[in-house]
Amino acid sequence: MIGSRANILRWFVVGLFVVLCIRLFHIQIVDRSYRRAAENNVLRYEVQHPPRGEIYDRNGEFLAQSVASYDLMVVPRNIPKEGFDTVALARIAGVTSEQLARSLQSAKNYSHSRASVVVRQMTTEAKLLFDEGSFDGFYTLFRTQRSYPRKIAGNLLGYIGQVNDKIISRNPYYGRGDYIGYSGIESAYEDILRGEKGEKVSIVDVRGTIKGPYQGGFYDRAPVAGTPITTTIDAPLQEFAEQLMEGKVGSIIAIEPSTGEILVMVSSPTYDPDELMGRDRGNNYVKMLENPRQPLFNRAVMSSYPPGSTFKLVNGLIGLQEGVVTAGRRYPCNQGYHVGRGVKCHDHRSPLDLKEAVANSCNAYFCYVFRDILDNPTRGGVMKGGYDNWANYVRSFGFGQKLGSDFASERGGFVPTSDFYDDYYPKWNSLTVISMAIGQGELGCSPLQMANLAATIANRGYYYIPHVVKHIEGVDSLDARFYERHYTLVEEKHYEPIIDGMWGTVHREIGTAGVAYVKGLDICGKTGTAQNPHGKDHSTFLAFAPKDDPQIAISVYVENGGFGSSVAAPIASLLIEKYLTGEVARPELTQYIKDMKIAYPNYEKRK
Amino acid sequence: MKSANDKLGWARIDWKTILIFVLLVFIGWLNIYAAVYNEATAAGFQLSSKYGMQLLWIGISTVVAIVILLIDDIYYHLLAYPAYVLMLCVLVLTLVIGKEVNGAKAWLVLGPVSIQPAEFMKVATALALARFASEYDFSLSKPKGLIGTGLLLLIPIAIILLQNDMGSALVYCSFFLMLFREGLNPWVYYAIFLVVGLFVGSFILSPVALLVLLLLLFVASQLISNHNLRESTIFIAGVGLLSLVIYAVSWLAGWELTYYGALLISSFVMLVPALTYAYRRKLSTIYLFGVMFICSVVFLGAVDYVFNDVLQIHQQKRILDLLGLESDLKGWGYNVHQSKIAIGSGGFLGKGFLEGTQTKYDFIPEQSTDFIFCTVGEEWGFVGSLVVLTLFATLIIRLMKMGERQQEPFRRVYCYGVAGIFLFHTIINIGMTIGLMPVIGIPLPMFSYGGSSLLAFTVLFFIAVRLDSQNSIIDSTYKPY
Repeated sequence: MIGSRANILRWFVVGLFVVLCIRLFHIQIVDRSYRRAAENNVLRYEVQHPPRGEIYDRNGEFLAQSVASYDLMVVPRNIPKEGFDTVALARIAGVTSEQLARSLQSAKNYSHSRASVVVRQMTTEAKLLFDEGSFDGFYTLFRTQRSYPRKIAGNLLGYIGQVNDKIISRNPYYGRGDYIGYSGIESAYEDILRGEKGEKVSIVDVRGTIKGPYQGGFYDRAPVAGTPITTTIDAPLQEFAEQLMEGKVGSIIAIEPSTGEILVMVSSPTYDPDELMGRDRGNNYVKMLENPRQPLFNRAVMSSYPPGSTFKLVNGLIGLQEGVVTAGRRYPCNQGYHVGRGVKCHDHRSPLDLKEAVANSCNAYFCYVFRDILDNPTRGGVMKGGYDNWANYVRSFGFGQKLGSDFASERGGFVPTSDFYDDYYPKWNSLTVISMAIGQGELGCSPLQMANLAATIANRGYYYIPHVVKHIEGVDSLDARFYERHYTLVEEKHYEPIIDGMWGTVHREIGTAGVAYVKGLDICGKTGTAQNPHGKDHSTFLAFAPKDDPQIAISVYVENGGFGSSVAAPIASLLIEKYLTGEVARPELTQYIKDMKIAYPNYEKRK
Repeated sequence: MKSANDKLGWARIDWKTILIFVLLVFIGWLNIYAAVYNEATAAGFQLSSKYGMQLLWIGISTVVAIVILLIDDIYYHLLAYPAYVLMLCVLVLTLVIGKEVNGAKAWLVLGPVSIQPAEFMKVATALALARFASEYDFSLSKPKGLIGTGLLLLIPIAIILLQNDMGSALVYCSFFLMLFREGLNPWVYYAIFLVVGLFVGSFILSPVALLVLLLLLFVASQLISNHNLRESTIFIAGVGLLSLVIYAVSWLAGWELTYYGALLISSFVMLVPALTYAYRRKLSTIYLFGVMFICSVVFLGAVDYVFNDVLQIHQQKRILDLLGLESDLKGWGYNVHQSKIAIGSGGFLGKGFLEGTQTKYDFIPEQSTDFIFCTVGEEWGFVGSLVVLTLFATLIIRLMKMGERQQEPFRRVYCYGVAGIFLFHTIINIGMTIGLMPVIGIPLPMFSYGGSSLLAFTVLFFIAVRLDSQNSIIDSTYKPY
């Protein structure tokens, strides 16, 4: 009996293997459909890139457009063994045979079975020519490329480039060869502009020829185009501003006070954004990086300057609110403020009241005010709350912290705390920090913050966070933070004397910026001549207009430009004129400013 | 017999069987090499690649094999229970601190290597079962023997199921081969085949076809022992005619009776004369098959009810997927589809070593592990597949013969246990790649990439060889039975 069981088991085992053999015989020899399936079995997953969302200026004019371009792809193992016409392909793609050979080699080094890019950004014409020829193993991939009709606002728009490995490992959305915005609007609104990649799954035979969609296209995903963005930028004004800044280093920001919308943002030197697109991108990028004037550095939001005399406006406002000064209060000035180390002043008649002191930018006057604010006995004196009280006011104007604009790279500047001085000096008083009375010393402000100050004064006491995006297609409103009024700690009534003073700067004989006068525009301004350790004074001007119904607030900062009235004020005036009247009636001044070239020995030295 | 300079008994080692084993390991490695082969990476040998790692494991396995052959076989007998208990502890430990891979918490991480303890539990279980079956009063027809065997099997199965490692748990079914040899009641197997057959049949056949098959099966079964061809024919014809009559009448009368219903009624009606006939002729087998028929019909109804009304949709899908009925082309269905294409495209002689288009271009996930047979099928064709299958079949049959020639139950039971494990893995794995078996993720012995599995099969196999080699040595001094 046992023996027979062993036999049964033996036959059982043999039987099982025979069943397997029969099945193998069937699928390997009888049924030929598997062989056919294998021929057409290669699936190709093709990424379908969406066109990137377009960027418009506030009036619907293109700032950045998306135009079709094609990347030439290769799957190395599908290239016929006998080779192909390298010369013809190189000619079609518009590269040299050597370049083609080099990128083919690097594609092979990456992977034999996976697709790599061989030639980037071929034109539509080149793609059509390629389609006429037959190059096994190669295919084209639709991409979009940026084009910039006006060639302006490079730093503002930012640039796009291929994702690097770090981004790929952090964010699963991105794959090799995808583009991402690296700065400016392209970076801040990447998620909106990029759209959604699609995927096409095709059946490809072992030789790489497409046989049709896999499963009738069931697994395909159509790409979703990127969403267009309308910016707050006024393109003609931006272009004009860039022209005025040519040959100078600095920045211009103009804001619409009633909304916080940024009308103009120039960081000079700027660059043609087209240079960071296309095949020469790499070379141009390196060139820009090596340029000592740092064109890729967005000075408008990233730099931190001493604000200079324009900051007197803030001290004046705080003084009025604190009750340590009134509009009629007069202080004498004999070429400066002669207490302690002292602060020099230019030659002017004396004494001046507050409005005149603003218009004339008297240093001594604001030293008195500043010390009275800090030493105010009701606030406990400078070291016991007086200073901190002042610093609180200053922060309420948006200084010393990021404003929260839509620029990721925005910097917050610097407003020192009393702890900062406690660490530096065992004992200090209002005279120690007296230079901040006239916007010098440790203070650091970004041009954006200065423009925001102009808007705040124009609004008589509040600001909207400056922002550069006006509308995103299909989205009803922007982030809530852009609709919120931020009030300063100074009441509305105290702004009038300061604004009168600013009006005087441009309109009164005693004013420092008569050059900015334009009939009927009621420009209010404040000059600044900021001392700095890097050479000649920076020329700055802060303004808004018209006085009673402000449409535009502007801050101009020209490094090493000398007096505020010499460069910055005329630039601001010309821009205001163009924005409010639509044209500029002062061709000589325009030409004079455009032709002005400032020398920057310190930048050249840095190299 | 024992020669003076052969203290270890190596002269009695079954070198031919070892040769087959080694051949399979070698062919397996070649196929792993082919599966991960890529022109771009073919520049040089890399130890970190899968074929490099597998070579390392082959080396380790060789050392282990030699060590096993050096150990006196009495220790395997002695250590059977301790090893079993130890491995159970390791399994429980894995359940607590193990690493989860593909949903199964079945891996222990020891420094640079991950080990799957369930693979080694098979060895321990085979040894423990052999030890238990070798006790002098052991019999599978006694409750003690049945319960003991059942416990030895069910404890590891339960723990492995808790690890959510369905495939490894199912492998324990392979011990039914050994149990059959040791005298487990054949009706158990008949019942198992019937239940599995009915279960699968209820999904792939129409109810009518299944019922007809059942009727024919049971009539034919009793025919073998009763030799009553005339009566059997009358019975079948009767059921057929009656069912048609009932169906026609019900249609004319406007009752909503399906043909399945008619057939069921007529077969139950015809059971009455059949049982009367059995009573007159005193043919007890007819009672038996009659009862089995009724049970089967009830079982089918139950399966139907449970599947449609008790199980949730995802559980239904899982079962359909396992049976290969509803291929989800994104999940396992895709793998089997691709696997069949790869093997089928191999043709008679195959595409040649390293020339497989399907296997090389990464169509099949798990290419070097569970679906390694695709490479064999595609690159070596029907001929190559046949060679591999023949080698496996020979190895398994030789293991069973090895069992037969042992004088001690311990050695025989162990050999059959090993043969069963090899058989189960081979049939299920290859069957899966050609769409004959449900997709259960278990490795193909010696072929699939993975250190734990190769080492476990090596240990299993070489302990059998070692036991066999000392069989006759002990024979001279030891009086069995």
